Amino acid sequence: MKPTAPPQELLDLATDLVNFALAQGADEVEVAIGQGEEFNVDIRNQEIENLTQAQTRGISLRLIKDKKSASASSSDLKRETLEELIKGALGRLELTQADPWNGLPEVTAPSFPPEKLQLYDPKIQEIPIETKIELARQTEKIALQDKRITNSHGASFSSLESLHILANSKGFAGAYEETSFSLSVGLQAGETDNRAEDFWGHTSRFFDQLEPPEEIARQAVKRTTRLLHPRKIPTQQVPVVFEPEMTAWLLGFLFVCVSGTAIYQKTSFLVDKLGQRIAGANIDVIDDGLLPGKLGTRPFDREGVPCRRTQVISRGQLNSYLLDTYSARRLGLNSTGNASGSGVRPNNFHLQPGSLSPEKIISSLDKGFLLVRTIGHGLNPVTGEISRGAFGLWIEKGELAFPVAEVTISGNLQDILNQVIYIGNDLKFRSAVCGPTIAVEGITIAGN
Amino acid sequence: MKKTNSSDISAQATLHLFPFDEADYQKILSTALSRGGWLAEIFLEYTRFYHLLMEDDIIKETDESIRQGAGLRVLEGEKAGFAYTNDFKLDSLLKAAQAARAIVSSPPGQVAIPPLQQSRPEHSYYLLQGPMPASLADKIKLVKQTYYTALQAHPRIKKVRVSLVEAFQQVALINSDGLIITDARPMIKLVCLAIAEAGSRREAGFAGDGGRVDLSFLDKHNLAQRIGQEAAEEALLLLEARPAPAGEMPVVLAPGQGGVLLHEAVGHLLEADFIRKKTSIFWNKLDQIVAAEQVTIIDDPTIPRFRGSYNIDDEGTLPQKTYLIQRGRVVGFLQDRLSARLLGQALTGHGRREDYSHLPLPRMSNTYLDQGEYAPEEIIRSIKKGLYARRFQGGQVEDSGKFTFSLSSAQLIEDGKLTVPLKQVTLIGSNLEVLRDITMVGHDLAFSHQIGSCGKEGQTVPVTDGCPTVKIKKLTVGGAL
Repeated sequence: MKPTAPPQELLDLATDLVNFALAQGADEVEVAIGQGEEFNVDIRNQEIENLTQAQTRGISLRLIKDKKSASASSSDLKRETLEELIKGALGRLELTQADPWNGLPEVTAPSFPPEKLQLYDPKIQEIPIETKIELARQTEKIALQDKRITNSHGASFSSLESLHILANSKGFAGAYEETSFSLSVGLQAGETDNRAEDFWGHTSRFFDQLEPPEEIARQAVKRTTRLLHPRKIPTQQVPVVFEPEMTAWLLGFLFVCVSGTAIYQKTSFLVDKLGQRIAGANIDVIDDGLLPGKLGTRPFDREGVPCRRTQVISRGQLNSYLLDTYSARRLGLNSTGNASGSGVRPNNFHLQPGSLSPEKIISSLDKGFLLVRTIGHGLNPVTGEISRGAFGLWIEKGELAFPVAEVTISGNLQDILNQVIYIGNDLKFRSAVCGPTIAVEGITIAGN
Repeated sequence: MKKTNSSDISAQATLHLFPFDEADYQKILSTALSRGGWLAEIFLEYTRFYHLLMEDDIIKETDESIRQGAGLRVLEGEKAGFAYTNDFKLDSLLKAAQAARAIVSSPPGQVAIPPLQQSRPEHSYYLLQGPMPASLADKIKLVKQTYYTALQAHPRIKKVRVSLVEAFQQVALINSDGLIITDARPMIKLVCLAIAEAGSRREAGFAGDGGRVDLSFLDKHNLAQRIGQEAAEEALLLLEARPAPAGEMPVVLAPGQGGVLLHEAVGHLLEADFIRKKTSIFWNKLDQIVAAEQVTIIDDPTIPRFRGSYNIDDEGTLPQKTYLIQRGRVVGFLQDRLSARLLGQALTGHGRREDYSHLPLPRMSNTYLDQGEYAPEEIIRSIKKGLYARRFQGGQVEDSGKFTFSLSSAQLIEDGKLTVPLKQVTLIGSNLEVLRDITMVGHDLAFSHQIGSCGKEGQTVPVTDGCPTVKIKKLTVGGAL
């Protein structure tokens, strides 16, 4: 079950560039190399629409001298190009200014062995192209068998195999390989002037764990048809039930607000809130980069800091921000292993599940709104305000009554975190940011 | 680093960036079409980006990047085979050509490739007077002007962040129709974020500008100061802003930025891929009246200096000013080669891609609602209670025609006058209803700042939107209760 060894030429290139930059006068150097092999097929109306195959490589460099920082990146990996970029970066440092917080992390602890994290499926090299095409074709075929489905956006299968190499002048050198497979389909129901659309898909690191075409198609059909013939509703406040995908969306916004970058830039409403209660006592939020086989798992971050488990919110109290080395130094804290190269990224950032089934949550509400999708741009991390277009289902006496469209939801993340009345037991790690079904009070739904 | 003056960007110079000759191109195209297909195409790209960031009163970071690669596409019927590589070696491109032809299953035999002929765009819509990239010292000077203008605008401004991006994208298209054509596209974007604080309240203001110009353009038009001033003013205004009322009401779009509503609500659904796939509500509405008589919507990739402009599209087609809706009637769609062929319609030059690693799609460029006859004051005066939509963050549309977009700044209209500033407002509506509900169109056409981008199927391309002052009879406004 071991991945293939990374090509020696790339490992050597990383080390050589570190040495070259040091010889040119840099105090500290970081080199990251990525290599990917991608496959994607889109099937529409049972025919191949697009089929893409690609191999790509890219390199990123960061140089620090006298506490000044400059970076460069290139998809041209010729040695002379990269050496020019290094010289150019060092040249630019003459005109920029020192930032006392600049610097690479010290290597303090060894990172978790990548092979124990279940990131790589060796099967990726054996799956015939016909099988991949057939999986997408089957998914769409099953979905189109439902008479209510009137058009297809197509079904897609994609696979990605990637290699990450990181080396720096502090003595860090690491590499890991990972795989992912995705299967999805997008559908329309209804006639031209009265349409509903939705999609469903699954991404997995292991081919054998990918949800089968039947399941993807069933979910996509259910999600699309349930939105047909929506009504408008009057403006009001009722409990809003977030499906897991919507909880994930809400957590994505929370992630932005707890990220060290937003904190030190003062673009988050959670500035200076460490140690304070910011959510209800029923809220536990965790970031865990070491969960085996999950999509946000990795042995070390983009600066070589080992990934770990961080309790971000504990019983409503803000315990930790999520940090890279730079934001950590600025805030007088330690990196949490969340560096992305240009800020921070989540490593399986999730809300801890509760004990209620999603059905039980819906059936316990006299009136409510099941939120299934939002669109638009209205998220403001500076204030925590949320204002988005929304699609969902009206809940009446514990049952789903009818679909709703052309409404907006608005509220404040801080209020929402304090008004979660139910937490579901249905947490599945379908993305690097995820959560279970929740029900929330205090959100305004604006309609007519 | 190599500097490029407008005078050296000859088509030949761009073509010479790529280490291939005509025989190589012939060989690659023949390989791609060796099993058949109606088009094989090589898209070569070499783009350099230069980025500068100022924060905490220092020039904090500089970045230079190179994006190089080749995208190989084979079209057969409605199918597209695609492969890309960032290795500029003949072997790698031949391998990509083999991967791209994988969609063609029954070999009808070799398709002949005509001799390749280099052609040129008819016009240049780029304003290049200085070097690209500009000198680092000049860039720092400009960025500092913006930064300190914002920071010193008011004691309530507590933090400023300014970034400047220059990009120079050189592309060549070589295809099995015998075309060789190149384009060398400059782009500048200067943006400023200002954070204002009053007590425990904190608000952010944004502003920016740029386009297909070099740094000297920003300097000549004093844009550095203006951007800093605008970002600070927005942040300060938002400190005073109240939550918006919720519910249905008349909405007036401010000139310029309100164009994003047309972009979202109408423009996307007139992209020809959605028409041929019949996923757009407009697929069966060509020549039908869908909007009020005063509504004319145009997409024009040939407006000098605008972000959305280009000398050739990303399939090598010359761009055309394209009427989408004329006096309320649907008159055209935005075409790429595949959609135009399948629909039997003429090319418009709207096949765009984010970069070499993406397939081209029909996309908007500079989209606007043409101006009408009303004075803006007259439009505002006609409303007893409504919303004036001033600054837009962006929006999104569904196949159903339902759209939403977010305002970072708005104002209440009461008894025909602009009154209380409002913040974080969302507008939601249905496009056919909005098109019919446009009741007044102003004579003050303006365009959004040159910083906008549009996303579709995971690809982002630069765009501009525009409109005059517009009155929409009613829209759903989402705000606080």
